[in-house]
Amino acid sequence: MNHLVFSSVFAGLLIGTLNLAAAPQGTKGVEEFDPLAFPGKVVGDVVVPVPSEVFSVLDKLGEPNWRAELRKADLPPSSDRTKLSLLFGYTVAEGFVAVQAEDKEAVKDLGRDIIDLAKSLGLSKSVLPHAQSILDAADKSNWSAIRKEFDQTQKTVRDTMEQMKDIDLSHCVSLGGWLRGTSSVTSVVKKSFSADRAELLNQPMLVEHFVSSIEKMPVSTRDHDVVKSIRKGLAVVLQQMEGAVDGFSKDAVQEISKTCDGLLTEILAKK
Amino acid sequence: MKAPFEGRKMMNHATSSLVKVACAALALSVASVVYATVDEAHDFTMEAAMPFVEQGFIVREDYWNGEVKSGQKLMITHQLFKGNEYAFWLGTSQEGVTLDMKVFDEKNQPVQIKATSDKFFMSVRVNPPKTGTYRIVFDLKSKKDEGVLWALSYGYR
Repeated sequence: MNHLVFSSVFAGLLIGTLNLAAAPQGTKGVEEFDPLAFPGKVVGDVVVPVPSEVFSVLDKLGEPNWRAELRKADLPPSSDRTKLSLLFGYTVAEGFVAVQAEDKEAVKDLGRDIIDLAKSLGLSKSVLPHAQSILDAADKSNWSAIRKEFDQTQKTVRDTMEQMKDIDLSHCVSLGGWLRGTSSVTSVVKKSFSADRAELLNQPMLVEHFVSSIEKMPVSTRDHDVVKSIRKGLAVVLQQMEGAVDGFSKDAVQEISKTCDGLLTEILAKK
Repeated sequence: MKAPFEGRKMMNHATSSLVKVACAALALSVASVVYATVDEAHDFTMEAAMPFVEQGFIVREDYWNGEVKSGQKLMITHQLFKGNEYAFWLGTSQEGVTLDMKVFDEKNQPVQIKATSDKFFMSVRVNPPKTGTYRIVFDLKSKKDEGVLWALSYGYR
């Protein structure tokens, strides 16, 4: 997630004081915090959770059939760097699904896809060591090591993109990953609906972050057909999240699912 | 080189190993003049994370960092998922710094359940009562330096 350009923003500077009365930690109702009166700085960077953070909760709430969530998608050939970046994020997220499914062959296939995408993006040098580690760890069925490598791979790619001043592409990597991860979550929730599972979709801050990221992209990226679709789709997703004041309904989950799947279809389209 | 207190781009830490922590510690002990870096601050967060990793926490590769004026409060918003347990590790590579960190939910209530601190880092645990946006508020007070380099990492299980 190294669209983590440190963009500290003064928030409510000197508006008031932070009311943090001395109190034992964890004593609810004693300490009060007013973010609107925060006298310090707000760190603007957003760390987007990896899919496995959500998957781990779903595992605790039941035993999803992760193998059924795997998609054997053929990556479309492309020289479009925006699309390649979205595909990169998608592929890494798919890797997290494969780890959850403990599917060695799927992990290896995805590791090879990552190498191909890195070559197309001109990032082979920084990605190859991670991809090789993924393949090696897959041979040993070392799932925790693979999970760590997928996380590192994504971070390395975003860091490298940002070093090359391609911050918009770095955001696209995050977007592709979040869309794929969210699609998996909605799929699992739909198959075994419960309020606890559906609550995992309460991520408006992340959606707002993505919307804001798109708005800051250069016009050429912002006007990209797929990015325009994503912008529209995020508005739909955000509406569902903001409307879930008393929890997510099955219909809301279905709407988020349909939106994410539709966007992924566009990302994976051969055009 | 960025100006003091200006944010710094996060460094790529492909490996946050014991070796690096050891090297950082060695460098600190040998050098008479300490040139602390945000990388070293991150190394200390990884040192703080080690006992948590032994308890099954998965450490995220992404983290926040920068340089801040001593005593200046910072706030980070972050997505947490109910059902996971989280740990946040705040680190600095400078000596004589007092660290403080609290985590608040959407209703601005504190949710941290346990905090521990050491010379160069502190840790806070959170069991989020709901899935949503949380605020991590922290500051670092130095007895001798105007600016403090910091890093904040997290893990989950």
